[in-house]
Amino acid sequence: MAKESTNNLFGAAYDLFKRIGDSDFEYVYRGYFNHNITKKILILADKSIAKVTGDTQATLQKRIYYIMVEGLQNITHHQDEIANDRNFEKYPGIFAIQKSGEKYFITTGNIVANDKVADLKSRLDVINSLDKDELKKYHREILTGGTISDKGGAGLGLIEMSRKSGSKLHYKFDRLDDEYTYFYLQTQLPSDNKNDDDTIHAHCSMDGVMSLHQRMTKDNLQLLFNGFFNQENLLSLLAIIKSRSNLPLTTIKISNVMVEMLQNIIKHGEKSVNTSAGVPGVFFLGQTGNETILTSGNIINEDAASVIAQRLEFVNGMAKDALSDYYDDILLDFDSADAKKTGLGFTDLRLKSDRPLKYEFQKLDGGNTFYLLQTAIKTNK
Amino acid sequence: MEKLILEETEDTPEIILDPEEGKFKISKISVPENALDFYRPVLDWIKQYAEEPNIQTVFDFDLEYVNTASSKQIIQIILLLQKVSEKGNVKVNWYYESIDEDMRALGARYKKLVTVPFDLVEIE
Repeated sequence: MAKESTNNLFGAAYDLFKRIGDSDFEYVYRGYFNHNITKKILILADKSIAKVTGDTQATLQKRIYYIMVEGLQNITHHQDEIANDRNFEKYPGIFAIQKSGEKYFITTGNIVANDKVADLKSRLDVINSLDKDELKKYHREILTGGTISDKGGAGLGLIEMSRKSGSKLHYKFDRLDDEYTYFYLQTQLPSDNKNDDDTIHAHCSMDGVMSLHQRMTKDNLQLLFNGFFNQENLLSLLAIIKSRSNLPLTTIKISNVMVEMLQNIIKHGEKSVNTSAGVPGVFFLGQTGNETILTSGNIINEDAASVIAQRLEFVNGMAKDALSDYYDDILLDFDSADAKKTGLGFTDLRLKSDRPLKYEFQKLDGGNTFYLLQTAIKTNK
Repeated sequence: MEKLILEETEDTPEIILDPEEGKFKISKISVPENALDFYRPVLDWIKQYAEEPNIQTVFDFDLEYVNTASSKQIIQIILLLQKVSEKGNVKVNWYYESIDEDMRALGARYKKLVTVPFDLVEIE
């Protein structure tokens, strides 16, 4: 039946959620990149990094910022090059920043013309073959008279990424068709962990990111946010959604629903450890047919699950007119002083969502439950 | 009465309550985590203003985003304005962008629930 969502990640959300550590995160954006979105992604990533690195790692934070800027510019350059081509819509770009343990992984992906691949590959190989001093020399050489590529950079961006990260540039070319190849580029830092146990970073490895990209493409996800939630990154996410404003009305609706869903996590989500970074959770946004699907997942106390289920069944079971009247009642009910208990949130979500609120509970050890909630907004022109 | 001016932040609205200038306006974004605390001084101010209001009070809401926690505080503001209308003329303007169905719907909801003159004003 068509009722079943093709958004398969719904079921996999817990696997996504649990694969990252307490102070880890992963943000992935897949879609069209414009200046505004790029700016907002940087803000979101930078603030989140600041939350977990603290003041002691200001240099690291700056380097990561620099590499993100270069990476994002890389995507928009390639995108502009192919500006008149529908293929960028068919094969959207991707940006991912992941933190795993002490390590950060920044991955970008975009299409390049097949005839550019050999040149790009040889440049990357040259950069990767040079040590620190050689890179510095090479950088100067190019600056002072090297041939400037039609991208305007002679690979300067790549050299700088390698220098700032102090590590090799990981890359992969994935041929898509007769014209285009998908180009993945990954930087890891800091580089000083000699014998890194790569198994704990598996989901951040090039293969890990590529397989996540595949999932996101399959389910047509545009945004994945996996980590800790707080008011600050809620606002950054809101800014990213606003920047994609090719569909203004839908954008407003999505924003409204997203605010309620994320504040719900922030207010009611359980913390597995006491961290000031925020409340752990996962959120993703995707497109299925003519609907935008928003999904959130977080930990709640097992006892809260039945209360939530009751409330969700209640709003799902009501006709929209009756539910709207109910909204008025709660609005005017000032006796329940606790704003958390008004129930306005679910009522509002159901009124704005174009189908019943979908939910799922998964029992975990230690009296906790993983709680998934999904809303759908019809895409209006 | 001393005016109350709150500058907008990333998640709270700009608030201008200025009887001398005859300007009463809440605008931009209202999605604070704790709407109760944010709106408390605003409600207190209007409560006091209701004792001795201007002859004419035009109150403008021009909001871009409102979370449900704020919507509950805003109804209280409007109910207080109803109280103001016992001693002076009050008119509420609820501005919404023409494409923003949700903001229009919220305004319409408030309008239905109160007796104070309440205009829904569409802006392009």
